[in-house]
Amino acid sequence: MLAAVGIKVINFNFHLIGVLQLIFQTLASTISPPFRIKDIFKQLNFVAVESAPIVIFCVSFAAVVTIIESSFHMKIVVQNDALVPGFASLLILRELGAVVSALLITSRVGAGLAAEVGSMQVTEQVDALKMLGIDPVRFIVVPRFIACLLGGFLLSILANIVCLICAMLVSQFSLGYTFGSFIVGMKSFVHFQDLVFASIKGASFGAVIPIFSCYYGFKCKAGAEGVGLATTNSVVTTSVAIIVIDFILSYIFSFFY
Amino acid sequence: MRPEAKVGLLFIVSILLVIGFAFALGVISPMASSNELTIAYNFAGGIEVGSPVRVMGIKVGKVKSINFSPDFKMPDGEEVKLKIKVAVEKKAWNSIRKDSHFYINLAGVIGEKFLEITPGSMESEQLKSGDTVRGTDPPRIDQLISQSYGLAGKIIKMVEENETSVVSTIETMNKLVVNLNKLMVQMEKTTNATDIGKLIKNLVVLSGDLAYFSQTLRTKEGEDTLKLVKELIWRLEELDKKAIKKFLQDEGIKAKLF
Repeated sequence: MLAAVGIKVINFNFHLIGVLQLIFQTLASTISPPFRIKDIFKQLNFVAVESAPIVIFCVSFAAVVTIIESSFHMKIVVQNDALVPGFASLLILRELGAVVSALLITSRVGAGLAAEVGSMQVTEQVDALKMLGIDPVRFIVVPRFIACLLGGFLLSILANIVCLICAMLVSQFSLGYTFGSFIVGMKSFVHFQDLVFASIKGASFGAVIPIFSCYYGFKCKAGAEGVGLATTNSVVTTSVAIIVIDFILSYIFSFFY
Repeated sequence: MRPEAKVGLLFIVSILLVIGFAFALGVISPMASSNELTIAYNFAGGIEVGSPVRVMGIKVGKVKSINFSPDFKMPDGEEVKLKIKVAVEKKAWNSIRKDSHFYINLAGVIGEKFLEITPGSMESEQLKSGDTVRGTDPPRIDQLISQSYGLAGKIIKMVEENETSVVSTIETMNKLVVNLNKLMVQMEKTTNATDIGKLIKNLVVLSGDLAYFSQTLRTKEGEDTLKLVKELIWRLEELDKKAIKKFLQDEGIKAKLF
């Protein structure tokens, strides 16, 4: 039993070192030329533009649920939901928008990336790149890293504002607060820095996705089963990482208020 | 559509959304032009940069900066150590005069602080942008509490010092109440309940009789009788005592009237 625990610890350290190595390699390659602009745009299109509809759709429903639930709870607690616009918009900006959109991007983009890189690894395309003298990290990871970072940033802004607009619509038609009173309620709680912090969170979450996906892709074992396992592992690990990073960033940002 | 164009479009949309958000929050307001005013306080009751400024209850600006100025003096020589710079929209600027008052107030459920400016009279001179004025310091709750605490202390001290006299006063009052109670009981005992009953019965009979009498008086017969009596009295008035005496003597009536 002790041996099993020991093996797990060693495995964890092994993965940790591998991920850290990949992060440093990626960062080093990101800031040094050549920059593969065309590839970055292609990936941005895949990560941000093509994910935008699904993110907007899901986040809208999340906003509707948030505002209705907040109203329900406030009515129970203080018999009045006048503060709901302020509270709900603060909750949306501080947590909901960035985290929900990041988890959606993970499930869509992260899984795809892991499967893509995994099948490249299985079919020995990565080895072929190495043989041609091309750094696979620079060739595969860096464009996706930049695309996901920017994509996370853009999508978190988009998700937050769409969320707020949906909340505004719900409070207009369901709770009876006009757009003007919603904005006034929002102003008393929300500051511009909330959106800045949300987009920083979005960018950080976005940056995590390709790192774990590509790491598990590179470590992919042969066969369809290997690719499936890599995909599963990458999605699970990225989701956990997003939650943990969310906590860390929230804690850091709490010092700025 | 090329991927670059789509990505560019997403960028532009995001930037526009951020600008819209900033505009909604009032972080940027390119259309509004404002004048600045510096208000001096010695105590500002928790106002913050960004707190709203209201004229007659309408939001027309916000606090831009708060500066400590230990060596600042008003023209009349008063030392005022805190300067609050506010921006006020031009549409409300006309209402702010030299005799306006600058209060720090509390609003809403969450206790948001704001700076309230009362409108000045039109006879008073208009302020210029950048002027420094003296604000009305808000009441300090902590000071009020400490004062009332002092008052309570004094009351307690007074009571403690004159404890014997206070206690004796209370005891005397207590005795007084007891005596009063006894007196009431005695009175109830002495006044016989049956006598009171009789008295009431008699009163009832008397009032009944009186009612009957007055009713009879009110009838035609009664009125005639009254008139007759009146006439008789008037006639008798003319007669003097001698005439009556003579009449009575003539009639052989020996009266002890006179």
